[in-house]
Amino acid sequence: MDSEKRRLLIEASKSPAHRPVRRVAPAESPVTPVEHTPDPGLGHALIRKERYTSAEFMRLEWERIWSKVWLLGGCEQDLREPGDYLCTDIGRESVLIVRQRDGGLRAFYNVCLHRGNRLRPEGCGSAESFTCQYHHWQYDLDGSFRRIPDLDTFPQGAPPCDGIRGLPCEAWGGFVWFSLNPDVGPLADYLAPVNAHLAPYNFHKMALTRDLTVEWDCNWKASVDAFNESYHVQGIHPQLMWYLNDLDIQIDTYERHNRYLIPFGTLSPRVRTPNAIPDPIKVIMKGAGMDPADYDGPISAIRRDVQKWKRTHGAAQGKDYSGLNDDQLTDDYHYLIFPNVTLNTHADDLMLFRQRPHPTDPDRMYYDIWTFELVPDGQAWPERPRHQHFRHGEKSIGLVLDQDAQNLPGVQKGMHSAGFEGLWLGAQELRIRHFHKVIDDYIYGPGGKPDGAL
Amino acid sequence: MDLGLRGKKAIVTGATKGIGRAIVEALLAEGAAVGFCARSEDEVQATVAEFQAKGGEVIGGAVNVRDGDAYRAWLESTAQALGGCDVFVPNVSAGGGMDSEKNWWKNFEVDVLHTVRGCEALMEHLKKSGQGAIVIISSTNAIETFAAPMAYNAMKASLITYAKQLSQFVGKAGVRVNAVSPGPIYFEGGAWEMIKGTNPKFYESTLRAIPSGRFGTPEEVARVVAFLASPAASLVTGANVVADNGFTKGVRY
Repeated sequence: MDSEKRRLLIEASKSPAHRPVRRVAPAESPVTPVEHTPDPGLGHALIRKERYTSAEFMRLEWERIWSKVWLLGGCEQDLREPGDYLCTDIGRESVLIVRQRDGGLRAFYNVCLHRGNRLRPEGCGSAESFTCQYHHWQYDLDGSFRRIPDLDTFPQGAPPCDGIRGLPCEAWGGFVWFSLNPDVGPLADYLAPVNAHLAPYNFHKMALTRDLTVEWDCNWKASVDAFNESYHVQGIHPQLMWYLNDLDIQIDTYERHNRYLIPFGTLSPRVRTPNAIPDPIKVIMKGAGMDPADYDGPISAIRRDVQKWKRTHGAAQGKDYSGLNDDQLTDDYHYLIFPNVTLNTHADDLMLFRQRPHPTDPDRMYYDIWTFELVPDGQAWPERPRHQHFRHGEKSIGLVLDQDAQNLPGVQKGMHSAGFEGLWLGAQELRIRHFHKVIDDYIYGPGGKPDGAL
Repeated sequence: MDLGLRGKKAIVTGATKGIGRAIVEALLAEGAAVGFCARSEDEVQATVAEFQAKGGEVIGGAVNVRDGDAYRAWLESTAQALGGCDVFVPNVSAGGGMDSEKNWWKNFEVDVLHTVRGCEALMEHLKKSGQGAIVIISSTNAIETFAAPMAYNAMKASLITYAKQLSQFVGKAGVRVNAVSPGPIYFEGGAWEMIKGTNPKFYESTLRAIPSGRFGTPEEVARVVAFLASPAASLVTGANVVADNGFTKGVRY
């Protein structure tokens, strides 16, 4: 490109000037640290496209990530009583997580030791015991054999183990976690520091209100990437520019997890202040119990005024905000728990995405959406929504997520193009770079990535 | 055609953006002196500076028209500063919305009461003018069904009735009163710019309802307002002039 053309490009492409968003100071945040982490210095190299398409890289991910780390299994609210269980698949594996009679939790490979049949399909339920539908081998809630029909016809007797093989399983934050790695360390160590960050949100008081699994035609990392930056708001979610500040975000990276803090209830610096309160911001105000028609202040003051309003009225609404800082009352504290859990965390709700690889195809994935809403004190816990599973395009998953979903198959196709080498990331996409760095740490060992490796 | 606005004193409410701002600009271009208000002091000062830089004789003040006393005081001090008032354009609106009953109160206070209070407060100046003119900004939402049964639409309708009856009431004193009903008007920072971003389907369907396929501009509305405000429109009073580029479909005769 000649210099004149490059000059014109730079001139046409400047990010808009803006005044920094007001954020709470570290001392104003009772629990969740708000300190900005130092730049991790991850360089500017291309993220190679083959990471999204290679069967070999997929195999390495399984061997060194999926089968090694802690993984999100499900919601503890589905496992309240002894015998309540859930089944969740990861890769070629399926895991059965069961509430025990003593109140504890145990996880097992979801496979009958007789002929390998799955004991339960994906989903949740309640059982006295688990009986394989093939030959009715029966296991107790603790995984031990309870009955093997015609055991006397097995000259070798029952398998020498006690029952189905157990897996590490722990609860945190209202969620149950498992690991395929018998030697995995404590969950709390793995989740740190995010577990401490999220402690003041009342996840245990939030009811599951939506439970979807959508099959997407893209690599699971393309989905994680999509939610790890807000640069795409001006591209595919233009309506959100009248709802949140996509440009002035705080990006923080930790050992393996990362986050960004996005101000909600405010305008993007990319748009002019309109002469009326944008409808999406009205939704935030109404959610707090404010009447937009009764609001006389400027749009720029709404975010702060909603924070003050919630602080004043939260307790009377049966909502305990005492552990949250003011920004947490409006903003999206957006975390990635490595490798695949995206949390859009808000004071009154949580939108969680779990991104799972396809068992065999790097071009496909499962995108789980779990949304939760705070149940105010004194209000009835709503009925659990039915789990729905469908392919992308069969049903709408809401305007914003439809916009994301429609885009990703095209991204995945591009990963196969000879005209594309890899991801060219900007500073707004630092979390993507950090995510890939953590993947490399697992796959090649910390700092051990050989030159030329994917 | 000379509109005859040179040297006239005009007061416009809500004029740092959009239609109001374009009205001020049009009146200044015709040689009138203009006083205007808006809620934000910063925006008022910036707008005054911009117009003054172009040589306009203009003053501005920050006032919330919902505050009747403050608003009346601003009107009077502005008329004093201008040396009278020949033209009054109440333009401020609370806008649309169906959030609660409060929308009705707000549109009543802002759209209706601010217009009525302004007309009453300035009437002596307008009578003194001999060529006094009031141009009330209504909306095509008043005369045709639009979007939803919003307070905005009904309150804008009441302004057309008020304009007609006020015109009869003060006609003897040489004051003309007209309403202008703009259709969808697009401008930077306006409602339609936001709707284009937040609700593109609604934006597109509205655009398709306009025969020429384009929204109006504030300048086009301002030219209609400037004409009605001017002595050139000496025969026109009690009218509701629709400036909508064919957006409305009803036949009115």
